Amino acid sequence: MAKMVNLIINGKKIKATAGSTVLEAAQKEGIYIPTLCHHNALDPEGTCRLCIAEFSGSIRDSVRISCIQEVKEGLIVETETKRINKSRRLILELFLGRAPEATAVINLAAKYGVTKSRFMTGESNDCILCGRCVRVCRDKIGVHALCFINRGPARKITTDFERLSEYCIGCGACAHVCPTGAIKVEDKGDQRKIFTWEQVTARFTLERCEHCHKPFAPKRYLELINKKAYNPKGLELVDYICPECFKKHDRVSDKRREGALRKAVNKWSVPR
Amino acid sequence: MNAKNNDSIVISVCTGTGGVATGGYKVIDAFKEELAKINSTAKVGPRTHKVGCRGFCAKDVLVDVDINGEVSTYQHVTADKAREIVSSHVIGKEPVNKWMVKEDYHNFHDKQQKLVLADCGKINPESIDEYLAIGGYESLKKALSMDPEEIIDTIKKAGLRGRGGGGFPTGIKWESCRNAKGNPKYVLCNADEGDPGAFMDRSIVEGHPNLMLEGMIIGAIAIGSSEGYVYIRAEYPLAVDRLRLALDQAREHNFLGENILGSDFSFDIKIVLGAGAFVCGESTALMTSIEDKPGEPRPKYVHTTDKGLWGKPSNLNNVETWANVPMIIEKGADWYASIGTEKSKGTKIFSLVGKINNTGLVEVPMGITLREIIYDIGGGIPKKKEFKAVQTGGPSGGCLPVSFLDKPVDYENLYEAGSMMGSGGMVVLDEDSCMVDVSRYFLDFCKDEGCGQCTPCREGVAQMVRILTEITEGKGSLAHIDMLEELAQMIQDASLCALGTSAPNPVLSTLMYFRDEYKAHVVDKKCPAGVCRNLTTFIIDEDLCTGCTLCARNCPAGAIYGEKKEPHFIEQDKCTKCRVCYDSCKFNAVKKG
Repeated sequence: MAKMVNLIINGKKIKATAGSTVLEAAQKEGIYIPTLCHHNALDPEGTCRLCIAEFSGSIRDSVRISCIQEVKEGLIVETETKRINKSRRLILELFLGRAPEATAVINLAAKYGVTKSRFMTGESNDCILCGRCVRVCRDKIGVHALCFINRGPARKITTDFERLSEYCIGCGACAHVCPTGAIKVEDKGDQRKIFTWEQVTARFTLERCEHCHKPFAPKRYLELINKKAYNPKGLELVDYICPECFKKHDRVSDKRREGALRKAVNKWSVPR
Repeated sequence: MNAKNNDSIVISVCTGTGGVATGGYKVIDAFKEELAKINSTAKVGPRTHKVGCRGFCAKDVLVDVDINGEVSTYQHVTADKAREIVSSHVIGKEPVNKWMVKEDYHNFHDKQQKLVLADCGKINPESIDEYLAIGGYESLKKALSMDPEEIIDTIKKAGLRGRGGGGFPTGIKWESCRNAKGNPKYVLCNADEGDPGAFMDRSIVEGHPNLMLEGMIIGAIAIGSSEGYVYIRAEYPLAVDRLRLALDQAREHNFLGENILGSDFSFDIKIVLGAGAFVCGESTALMTSIEDKPGEPRPKYVHTTDKGLWGKPSNLNNVETWANVPMIIEKGADWYASIGTEKSKGTKIFSLVGKINNTGLVEVPMGITLREIIYDIGGGIPKKKEFKAVQTGGPSGGCLPVSFLDKPVDYENLYEAGSMMGSGGMVVLDEDSCMVDVSRYFLDFCKDEGCGQCTPCREGVAQMVRILTEITEGKGSLAHIDMLEELAQMIQDASLCALGTSAPNPVLSTLMYFRDEYKAHVVDKKCPAGVCRNLTTFIIDEDLCTGCTLCARNCPAGAIYGEKKEPHFIEQDKCTKCRVCYDSCKFNAVKKG
């Protein structure tokens, strides 16, 4: 059993697993803390700073972010104080100045009573540089197709040398985790395009499903799954059944293959 | 040939970056050439050697001529002057008084208390033997015979605090790193000095690299480390070369390497070159940079003494802190603790720049007043102008007004005043400096140098710069000042690293002490200092103007008219507000308003 610690968030006494973050503990208890850069599948990077809170109790009184701070016995957290919400509103105002058309930003800002920004940058860019796409591509998929370039206000997310990426496998995970929809995946016929705001980042031809013959995934993506999946016998695991057909055709003729494929899908990567 | 054959002649030529830039190497060659001619039969041959920076770079090339122990110092020496110094002083025994340093040089040095820089400018930084001759590496030998806990206790008792900015007690840092779980442990030196106008760390590395290395080795003994890194910026080529040389020589003498001086302690140091990002001076960013990742701070609430470089316990101190260590071990904690104030011990090196007569590096005991530094050592403000403020602590420090001139300089006082010790930059501002413009300049530096990870610093500081720019352009309103204060508060609270949290300091401190000036910009639309072009007009006072035509001749825009010996006037439509007329008028007839 994992060790549990006691802490208080917004006056509510809760128990949380040692080693988890305050944000995770709060989410489990249904306490809402706003964030844009955090994603449950990814390691926290603490860059949007919206999840700031006032900490006291067993650590020195300070403003910290709850997606990085680990829970601790005797910790007291206040996430909605006047001071915190004042800062939070300003951060949202800054986001709104940068991405005035991004729905996620507009909605979250409205929740905190911010409807217009005094800090318009003059350009509209849905990317808020939260880095979720970079993290999923680097840490989870492991292909490093996206990266940050430049520093300070010039920072942006792009592919190597801002060219069509050689490493992108077209999985679309970046678009899936993007909070603002700044990265889009567009499938047209058997062609897939991935856009990082307006600019085409990658272009793929989709392979067709063996069963329904509909185009469904880029070849490099299927190859990567093959490589990373638990596959001691080097079987051709995933050639070419789309997720829908896989669900429908539960009894694929080759039982052996089915078993391996299930394992592959469930485990995704590392053998025990 | 009057030079006696048994004269001891030592000529020391400054070859710090300032010295080299003003022709130090040519001066050395000229001395060597001339001395070779006269001294072929001398028993004790004259030596011409390179020495590091002694702080007063405005007078370079500085040369010490030491004949039988009698030292004369020459300033602004060139190769031609060097030849004459040899013929008249070395041979003829007639010092060339007109080229000798004047009273200001002595004033500059006499009030200082040089501990770290004591041998900087006296010994050859490229030769370990010269350091050994004055007792170098004796502290290391002593430290090897001590218990690590004893070393840490000595440093703690001495009260040494980090010289890189925060002022964290060094002994406590060492202790927590020693007690941290994990192996190996790393000892790191921060030589990534990036503040505009600050060069104390560079000077130490260039002028006395062995002192810093000795400190690091002693630190490694105390912490129990076997591997060290010096993170130094590639823009300091001379410092890097001398550091490499010092490391090689220290290895030859077995001060570094396996089983140092026959003990069972082994330690070595590697150099890592930084690419010149200011943010890499931040401890976690420095470590990620050593790990070959982009130099970005890590958002972790775990001390680097527990999890630092490659997740291992790491102890980072800056050059000046390390350079303080050998003398504490040598002379003892009590001696060190007797210098300075109650909470800030020892000396601190400041780089004194800006509107000041004696520009250079000064080392002073903690607790000295700003007035002593600026007026007694620095020689006051040029052209008898009024002192307005001093910006301490680098780009993220604050501006202190006249009322702080008599406050003692230590960590606490500066912090309370809304500034900080920082690494020791001191930019002096006079009446002609506009505080809004000054804070805009420093904030703009932080804007470009931030890593761009976190929102408050990336977006917030950029917005503050935009707001300040609007104010200096005359487009400001009182709402702008409110926005500045709101943003500053938020950035201080919510930024990821110390670069962000301290970036608003220049704005907050100027808002605190020079609020009237901000108001003049946004309400009256005037820049009292006459710096912001859109808010300044220059006019010529007819009663004071003598019609000397100097301003008209200097005006690059041809905006000044007037007959000789008649009052002149400025055509405002043509005027570009370049201030040339204001600065050149000898009768103070040009007024700004």
